[in-house]
Amino acid sequence: MASAPRPERVPRLLAGCLPPYPPPPPTVGLLSMEQEETYLELYLDQCAAQDDLAPPRSPLFNPVAPYGMYILNASNLDTALNSNPEVKEASGDFSSVDLSFLPDEVTQENKDQPVISSRHETEENSESQSPQSRLPSLSEQDIGLGLNSSSLSNSHSQLHPGDTDSVQPSPEKPNSDSLSLASITPMTPMTPVSECCGIVPQLQNIVSTVNLACKLDLKKIALHAKNAEYNPKRFAAVIMRIREPRTTALIFSSGKMVCTGAKSEEQSRLAARKYARVVQKLGFPARFLDFKIQNMVGSCDVRFPIRLEGLVLTHQQFSSYEPELFPGLIYRMVKPRIVLLIFVSGKVVLTGAKERSEIYEAFENIYPILKGFKKA
Amino acid sequence: MVVFGTTFFNFDSFIGKTDSIEIIGKSVFLCCYHNILPLLNDSGRYSLGDARRPLHETAVLVEDVVHTQLINLLQQAAEVSQLRGARVITPEDLLFLMRKDKKKLRRLLKYMFIRDYKSKIVKGIDEDDLLEDKLSGSNNTNKRQKIAQDFLNSIDQTGELLAMFEDDEVDEVKQERMERAERQTRIMDSAQYAEFCESRQLSFSKKASKFRDWLDCSSMEIKPNVVAMEILAYLAYETVAQLVDLALLVRQDMVTKAGDPFSHAISATFIQYHNSAESTAACGVEAHSDAIQPCHIREAIRRYSHKIGPLSPFTNAYRRNGMAFLAC
Repeated sequence: MASAPRPERVPRLLAGCLPPYPPPPPTVGLLSMEQEETYLELYLDQCAAQDDLAPPRSPLFNPVAPYGMYILNASNLDTALNSNPEVKEASGDFSSVDLSFLPDEVTQENKDQPVISSRHETEENSESQSPQSRLPSLSEQDIGLGLNSSSLSNSHSQLHPGDTDSVQPSPEKPNSDSLSLASITPMTPMTPVSECCGIVPQLQNIVSTVNLACKLDLKKIALHAKNAEYNPKRFAAVIMRIREPRTTALIFSSGKMVCTGAKSEEQSRLAARKYARVVQKLGFPARFLDFKIQNMVGSCDVRFPIRLEGLVLTHQQFSSYEPELFPGLIYRMVKPRIVLLIFVSGKVVLTGAKERSEIYEAFENIYPILKGFKKA
Repeated sequence: MVVFGTTFFNFDSFIGKTDSIEIIGKSVFLCCYHNILPLLNDSGRYSLGDARRPLHETAVLVEDVVHTQLINLLQQAAEVSQLRGARVITPEDLLFLMRKDKKKLRRLLKYMFIRDYKSKIVKGIDEDDLLEDKLSGSNNTNKRQKIAQDFLNSIDQTGELLAMFEDDEVDEVKQERMERAERQTRIMDSAQYAEFCESRQLSFSKKASKFRDWLDCSSMEIKPNVVAMEILAYLAYETVAQLVDLALLVRQDMVTKAGDPFSHAISATFIQYHNSAESTAACGVEAHSDAIQPCHIREAIRRYSHKIGPLSPFTNAYRRNGMAFLAC
């Protein structure tokens, strides 16, 4: 029994025998190579299984790797082993489990929540027969992440799986990914939905990048992967698409990858992981480094017509309106640094955000201004 | 020497300035411009400031004027191109022709930058656009800006052209147009406003192929490239805009304001604004029934081309064939 399982042997090890569990990482945010590989492997294995399955049951939930990973994060070997077979079953059952809460690396929160993980397991053990009820609680967990800024929201949502419905109405809250890398998204307390109006911008597109950290043979990828396009004369990257979440990726030979088309941060990360998995399956030692959201696009409707001529006159230094060029007014907000496209019909598109909160803040700022130019 | 009627500035003070049209444009407050081409219906002109139902004769006349001017411009650009030994008319040639007129050049540059900026933003929004852009070669960002900057860099001897890039002065003509549009739209109801907005979106660049056919470059040996066509479409739009501006001015001039001893000293903007403020409804009606007549247009062109002032023979380089370009 190897004391430090090497990446390629990990799957076999985890399948049955008892590996000496690597101790939890000493510092937040740092993960040893093996652990990272372990998690990635398991995680992505499940992803692959999901990809081959029929389309998920409900559009709300994202497929893939369930608790297997999460459980391993806690330093609780026995339960890990016990639940492993169940995990496999369960994963087969829930084709649409949201995995976005799973971190890229083990973080402080996971260390703090051994209690929660065991609760996870008991819940799972008891409910493994009812995947449907599990699904809401999982997505609710995701929602719960958004609602509370403390990382212990997890425990909260675990305790009240039945509260799903009450929580559901506002799925898109700021503070995404509170469970994932604490280093990336600082917890900013946010005023919830805008106070002046009930309108919340919906995210339409997220562009993210990740570094797979290995040189890739694009031709090989294009030949063996399904849904891949490669035309070296036109563009030096493979264009790959997956159905769930519906996204497109540009994969470059340097190992860098751009993922577009997701509708939320979690989906973008999930999709990026799936692509990484595909690349990995083709034999490349793909990793998942520096995942970063580069741009977020949101849109909403204020539901009244707007007199753009007035707006461009009073906010000259921020706006440009050339109707013969583009029917919308381009408003460059300074704080936060967001570009808004404002149309006569009242539709507003916000782009240039790196975080969800920027979109919400920008809309909060522009709404009273737009009301002032309401075309009666 | 007062040229444009008692309500205008004493023209003597503007001798030496190349851009008499700007001064006129300053005084025009009512409208913006619109296009008359067969491509566009009359609602295009409406958005630029003409009455709701412009006269057909006026439309035909303006179309004729714009067409002639553009053909002349194209020919001059072709000559410049030939001088360089190039095979296509590039935006650089058009920029070269416009080098004398700073304000108009600046407006053109601003337009090019906004076009670049808008494509950059729209690209980031739709993932398909992003792919398209990547596939077509990733050197598209700010391409017009680069073209303009490189070219002006090469021909600039005194540094004043390059200074235009940093220049943040308010474009008065543009300002006037914006204010006019704002005033017009304030009194509209939403149906009218929707129609107005639609007509504002009309432009020559939307139906590029029709524009090209209308221009009829087939007889020329050297043809413009894509960006040059964009600029030509913009110049056509500007020409119509200028024409409408001038015509409105002329029309306003024709209204005799008897009994006001200071009328020669007060600017037209003030008077018209004052009038319209007092009777917005009346103004609206007036605008509707008072479409621009062909005679206004003709008078406007006559005044524009008229050689006035001691330095006028030297101010406009494009008068060789007797035609003064409105757009540049």
